[in-house]
Amino acid sequence: MSQPQLRQEFSRRAEAVSAVVKTVESLEDAFAQAARLTREQGGACLAAPGWEPGELAALQAACEREGLELITQGLRERAGQFHTGLTRAQWGVAETGTIVVDSASEDLRLATMLAEMHVAVLPAANLRADLFALEDEVNRTLGRAPGYLAFISGPSRTGDIELVLTLGAHGPRQLHILLLEESS
Amino acid sequence: MSRASRREYHQRLKEALDNRFLGQTLARFQGNYRGSREAGFAGMDFPALAAEVGAAKDAALGRLEELYEQFKAQAEAAGAQVHLAADAAHAREIIADIAAQTGSRRIVKSKSMTSEEIHLNRHLEAQGLQVTETDLGEWIIQLRGEGPSHMVAPAIHLSRSQVAELFTQVTGQKQDPEDIAALVEVARSRLRRAMLEADMGISGANFALASTGTIATVTNEGNARLVTTLPRVHVALVGLEKLVPDLNTALKILRLLPRSATGQLISTYVTWITGAVECAAAGGRKDLHIVFLDNGRLALSQDPVFSQALRCVRCGSCANVCPIFGKVGGHTYGHVYIGAIGLILTYFYHGREAARELVKNCLNCQACKVNCPAGIDLPGLIKKTAGLVMAEQGRPLKNQLMRRVLTNRPLFHFLLRRAYLAQKPLARGGRLIRHLPLFFAPDQEFRSLPVVAAEPLRDRWQRLAPRVSNPRLKVALFGGCLTDFVYPEQGEAMLKLLAGRDIQVDYPLGQSCCGLPAAMASEEETAREVARQNLAALEAEHYDYVLTLCASCASHLKHYPRLLADDPAWTQRAEHMAAKVIDLASFLQKEVGLEPVAGRGAKAAYHAPCHLCRGLGVHQAPRQLLQGAGYDYRPYEDEEVCCGFGGSYSLDFPELSAAILERKLKQVTATGAELLVTDCPGCVLQLEGGLDHRGSPIRVRHLAQALAEAQGK
Ligand code: SF4
Ligand code: SF4
Repeated sequence: MSQPQLRQEFSRRAEAVSAVVKTVESLEDAFAQAARLTREQGGACLAAPGWEPGELAALQAACEREGLELITQGLRERAGQFHTGLTRAQWGVAETGTIVVDSASEDLRLATMLAEMHVAVLPAANLRADLFALEDEVNRTLGRAPGYLAFISGPSRTGDIELVLTLGAHGPRQLHILLLEESS
Repeated sequence: MSRASRREYHQRLKEALDNRFLGQTLARFQGNYRGSREAGFAGMDFPALAAEVGAAKDAALGRLEELYEQFKAQAEAAGAQVHLAADAAHAREIIADIAAQTGSRRIVKSKSMTSEEIHLNRHLEAQGLQVTETDLGEWIIQLRGEGPSHMVAPAIHLSRSQVAELFTQVTGQKQDPEDIAALVEVARSRLRRAMLEADMGISGANFALASTGTIATVTNEGNARLVTTLPRVHVALVGLEKLVPDLNTALKILRLLPRSATGQLISTYVTWITGAVECAAAGGRKDLHIVFLDNGRLALSQDPVFSQALRCVRCGSCANVCPIFGKVGGHTYGHVYIGAIGLILTYFYHGREAARELVKNCLNCQACKVNCPAGIDLPGLIKKTAGLVMAEQGRPLKNQLMRRVLTNRPLFHFLLRRAYLAQKPLARGGRLIRHLPLFFAPDQEFRSLPVVAAEPLRDRWQRLAPRVSNPRLKVALFGGCLTDFVYPEQGEAMLKLLAGRDIQVDYPLGQSCCGLPAAMASEEETAREVARQNLAALEAEHYDYVLTLCASCASHLKHYPRLLADDPAWTQRAEHMAAKVIDLASFLQKEVGLEPVAGRGAKAAYHAPCHLCRGLGVHQAPRQLLQGAGYDYRPYEDEEVCCGFGGSYSLDFPELSAAILERKLKQVTATGAELLVTDCPGCVLQLEGGLDHRGSPIRVRHLAQALAEAQGK
């Protein structure tokens, strides 16, 4: 599959499982979108663990613009208080609309589990056709113990009451994937 | 005692059948599932992929101990503690000890069938521990004090009103049954709190990767992630059969598991945990314990026949497609494990008493088998399990009789002829017996029964069979008991269709029952003996084809090579014969090519016999022939669902046979068909008997008859 095809298929599949996929030109753009979404939904706090110090300045600025509190660690103590979890995703899988998030860090895990909305920034260059095309990468990650690797496809859901599909069972109610176009 | 447990089981079945909500929910569930599954597998070669998973699992099962050692070394190097529990009690002890040593009082769990298997909650609660299930369905049934009724959707037997009522009690606030999102919200907020406060999380695992010591969970709700992340202690309870060598094997399974379970291409969360990860609540790293459960698995993995059962990846599909599950649900169609695989595993994990009645409750319709992503021959194993139960408690009288009668063809045929005389007065001159004296066959009133023919096909043969001087094809007809002794007219219709086409058809008189009834009654030795007799009688080497009008006979004849696999003197002969077996529709399409009939014929619905569509993989031929013969073909949704006959099944489980038949006939009637066509005399018996009993004007015809009538023959 060519890059545009991968992107198209990934978006189609991710949207089919109720994720929202958007393209962003830069990290600044991604941060701005995450902060704006948070404010629009009435959130007051954005949790963003795992970002480099150099990147945090831009994120801090975006949060300030929207009047949000930014937290980057100690998420367990703040459970229930942050609306958004903003993380990176390492890879994307076109066949199933899946993002792969290396979440060995506890804060990173909590950001993707306890937030009402999970926003993941995924470099478009890291899209693959299917899980088998990611086998080597995943194997390498599993080999770096201890580790916690998550394949995430859409927001949390349940069909346990009369098979009626309901989003947001235990995890985030929304998943936004920001496909980052820049090559870096 | 055995009678009492039989009565009790049938009582429970009756209660389930009388539960209207349950019936509706299950029907909707199975209907939705069929569509979702089909969409999930669109464009994929399912049989090939299932065979691949089966082979990969078999390879792993062949070296479980080695995989366990490898896993243990890897996981412990990554900071986990790995335990091996010999049986259920041992596993419960290990987990209770971990709770005691870590001072854990509050426990949250994500869904784990293995923990259900060992009845873990009961044990932990008896130790004064507080256990909360966090999967929504599991939480619901925990609050109700029930077990799961499905391996993937544990509360599928409950309505929204029942859940709303329950949650009203739990919260003390009135809950609206129509607002399902609000009901889910109740669980979300309650359980979030429980998970934040818990000391210990217990999860299952879908895979354990020996190469890296990784365990993986596959879930939709996300509770397994919270359960494995928030509490300071994590205990994963894992059946030994979940061990796979590496990621590649796991990915192969993962490609099929969610598609088979719900039709999803992948579940929302697939989580791979390697070792003791960072955990602030534990003051650094998680206290991770991985408890492997043997409970008979190692021994089972060494069994040449039953090790297949350990391939199961717990997708639940074998329940989703089972017509019996669709009528009664999982509380009566399983013990802890549910559906076809449950019938088998109950015997091995929970013992003979729990399995005794359950394991008989299978129509052998093959629906589970063709849908199983691990390629398990579920109905075959069910019959073999029933055989084990029988061997332990002594063969019932009727099995001993069956052996005596079936292996002695002259005696068998003598008894059939005598049956004609005995039945004659009951039929009051008609072809069907409407009311049987109750002592003869209780609960059989849901359908009329056919009368044994005055003159079986074998006696008519000399008179009817065409004499062909220079045949282009030589065909041996395998009649089977029903065509021969009950429906000889179906054989006559077939002869009319083949007349004048230079085809010689012989009826080797030494042939007897195909032996399927013996196999169904777990009388394997009888089935083998009858198979050898038929092979000798048919002399298939002299023929181009062995033709049969009975789909069940055909698929059983094709099974002879496997049946006689341990008998080298016969295997080859069986293989040669099996290769020549063909059903009527395929034979007509391949070798005859009936002339199309123009004009508008009768409105005809079709019933696909299990052993034709799934047993032989014949789907389109009969429908095409009907349309070619000018019939106004009327499709309906459940065409390929079993009619509920299942041979002696309909005698042993009349209440279910009737319920499954009812569903089929309702759909057939709704098509407006005047004619119901099928190509198996067993199905004819069931369908015709059911329609006659309802006083329906719809006529039932074997495909041979329908085609001959259309041709004006
Ligand atoms: S036996 Fe096959 S169909 Fe049934 S649950 Fe197991 S894997 Fe699924
Ligand atoms: S063979 Fe048919 S009746 Fe028997 S368990 Fe499988 S699906 Fe159910």
